[in-house]
Amino acid sequence: MSARRVLPCSACGAPLETPVACAACGAVQEVADAATPFDVLGLEPTHALDERELRRRLTSFSRLVHPDFFGTADAATRERAEQNSARLNQAFDLLSDDARRADWLVVHLGGPAESQDRAMPQAFLVEVLDWNEILEEAAAAARSSSDVDPRVDALAVELTERRGAAQQALRKLLDPLPEPGSPRLTAARRELNGLRYLDRALRQIESLRLSRAERR
Amino acid sequence: MGYVELNVLNNAVPAGAAPAALGIDLGTTNSLAAIWRDGRPVVLRPEGRSGLVPSVIHFPEQGPPVVGREARDSAVADPRNTLFSVKRFMGRGLADVTQELASLPYSATQNERGLIQLEARGRRYSPEELSALILRKVHDVASQALGEPAPTKCVITVPAYFDDAQRQSTRDAARIAGLDVLRIVNEPTAASLAYGLDQRDKGHVAVFDLGGGTFDVTILSIEDGVFRVLATHGDTHLGGDDFDQRLADLARTDLAAQHGAEFVLDPAFQQAVRQAAEHAKIQLTNDPEAELHLMVPHKRIAWRRRVTRTEFEARTADLVERTIDSCRRALSDAKLQPGQIDEVVLVGGSTRMPVIRRRVAEFFGRVPHTEHNPDEVVALGAAVQANILMGGRRDMLLLDVTPLSLGLETMGGAISKILERNSTVPCEATEGFTTYADDQTGIDFHIVQGEREMAQDCRTLGRFKLKGIPPMPAGMARVAVRFHIDADGVLTVSAKEQSTGASAHIDVQPMHGLTDAEVEGMLKAGYANAVDDFAARRVADLRTEIGTMVLATEKHMNAAHAGLDKESLLDLADALAKAKAAALGNDVQALQRARDEFERAALPLAALLMNNVAQKALMGRSLGDM
Repeated sequence: MSARRVLPCSACGAPLETPVACAACGAVQEVADAATPFDVLGLEPTHALDERELRRRLTSFSRLVHPDFFGTADAATRERAEQNSARLNQAFDLLSDDARRADWLVVHLGGPAESQDRAMPQAFLVEVLDWNEILEEAAAAARSSSDVDPRVDALAVELTERRGAAQQALRKLLDPLPEPGSPRLTAARRELNGLRYLDRALRQIESLRLSRAERR
Repeated sequence: MGYVELNVLNNAVPAGAAPAALGIDLGTTNSLAAIWRDGRPVVLRPEGRSGLVPSVIHFPEQGPPVVGREARDSAVADPRNTLFSVKRFMGRGLADVTQELASLPYSATQNERGLIQLEARGRRYSPEELSALILRKVHDVASQALGEPAPTKCVITVPAYFDDAQRQSTRDAARIAGLDVLRIVNEPTAASLAYGLDQRDKGHVAVFDLGGGTFDVTILSIEDGVFRVLATHGDTHLGGDDFDQRLADLARTDLAAQHGAEFVLDPAFQQAVRQAAEHAKIQLTNDPEAELHLMVPHKRIAWRRRVTRTEFEARTADLVERTIDSCRRALSDAKLQPGQIDEVVLVGGSTRMPVIRRRVAEFFGRVPHTEHNPDEVVALGAAVQANILMGGRRDMLLLDVTPLSLGLETMGGAISKILERNSTVPCEATEGFTTYADDQTGIDFHIVQGEREMAQDCRTLGRFKLKGIPPMPAGMARVAVRFHIDADGVLTVSAKEQSTGASAHIDVQPMHGLTDAEVEGMLKAGYANAVDDFAARRVADLRTEIGTMVLATEKHMNAAHAGLDKESLLDLADALAKAKAAALGNDVQALQRARDEFERAALPLAALLMNNVAQKALMGRSLGDM
């Protein structure tokens, strides 16, 4: 992956911090289709991201292109502001989510996509069966009565801990970024598969809890 | 030397005022406009009135439809031709609203395209046309308050949980009303703007919005003037009306037992019961006890029952809990705990109910803000947003979200999600598709909005067919379909075949929306009505003007007799009589002629009076000087 190129503003020539608009003269730019989420937020590709800094960039760049500030502009400018604002939000959504950010990096460094390698880390294989069993039983119990399976709360704690461990493993694999084609990318994909499983399971637990509260 | 100051223009507009746009809260029960003036949002109230326009339309036997307070007052006398709660039908199909319709005194059908139509006085109206009538009335009231034609540029609010079709319907209604919508803004988000919470540099806010017909809760984060919506959740079928219904049920059950089931279906009865229930509910907000009191004169019925607040709260507890369920879900989506909310804002008239305030405070562990009138706070926030859109300020920024996930039906009826709920808008996603048969030239798409896993459980936004794919072997075509949700929360779809670059723009026709042609048709009808409306307004204005002139002249008749020459006096008396006669009629031109003639004939009197006033003023001055 090549380093980020800093483009000049199409109107005033000043170097652009973000390809969506020029902070110097305010001109909304034409963004190339090929611009990556990192490009859009003016960042080098990296797994380690400070969430506050990311938010700061979203808001300061949004102040340049949000359609609200183009309410009285001509139709073409309004349209471009709409599009660039969408690009910005799309990039932020992707980069602010650990799993999606890691997924993007793995794929763009030539590693396997989720559809190409669905394996999970060895350590997961036995436990996943147990976890699934608890979840299925809890879901079945929730359908027939409002009783709470006490194992669910313990499971939530365990899965949250595991999620932390998986994130740490991912950080080790992706920070610093591996070379394109490195075997670390395959390992990262597997950790990511594990992370996705954990997120799904945790969401399921959350929705069990919510519907439990609603049934009362 | 003294002089008399004469105020020539009553409604002078301060020169150099920045162009403004209206903020309009188009509500289920009431609608209201506000505008940005002198650095703050103000509600537009004509003198001595609240500015609140009841969202009710009455179709009288003759003449144009009546909107607002007068319409609401005809509801009991003419229930079949008085339409209200129209907002509940925006962007909906008949099947979506059977429950609502059961408790309404007017009837609804659908047209050949499945669009809902409300009936009054033997004619069918779309919810968009009806909402346009309300919007026009709101605009009229705003013009009266301003003393000049109100801007046609506006921001209109909708419940955060409105889906794409409902938002499009709102935009269409505004177009039919001749308004230029700068932005559709979510009501709770608008409310947070009205509270000036940007003054706080960091924090989380929950906006709890219980209106007449809809409920939603929105969780925002505020940081350095940026309002970022984290999550929104709601129920478009839950509002203050449902609380009324619980009280109305008491009357229905009792009276059905006494007078038969048929009786309670009578539209006049239903309307009376609705108003009695609402009245009792409002009373229970202030008093621990209220009387549900029902009079149906033509059936010789006078029914009374005492209801305590405790009983009312017991009968509506499940409704209150449904709102709390939504709060839990919104917090879960925002990944926050109730204790992490720093401010709670209440919006919508129904949040005046003590039980709501108590339960919300208990759930969030925090006393909610109630400084602004909950009926006005949304319109005020819309005016703040209108000011931002008109270029008034850049220090504040609002990042809102789409309330529902957007997906496509895949093989077997499952859904592939394209844009997740709570994505910041504008947002977009591009998905790749290919053909599954050789030489296939089209692909069918079924777009849905909702959180369920199967397409049949979600709301259909529209279906479209992508045509013009060049013939090639199966799986070779690469079609990129781009889904864009704009800052109003409205979807557009475009597609491109990537191997050939052939592009197609697709307009997604919402299932329950109007076609452009239909909007155009209604627009034209609107203009036709506008001419009538204009004439009616002109007649009313001329009559008022003549009335004022007649009064002023008659008051000074003594002075006229004393000071005018005989010819002028006769001329004036003649014009006065003619003007009085003309004021009884409806003819614009006759009124205009009589008014002009009267004005001319009154000139000598005016000069005489001015002279008198000036002399008096001078005299007063010299007397004072002495």
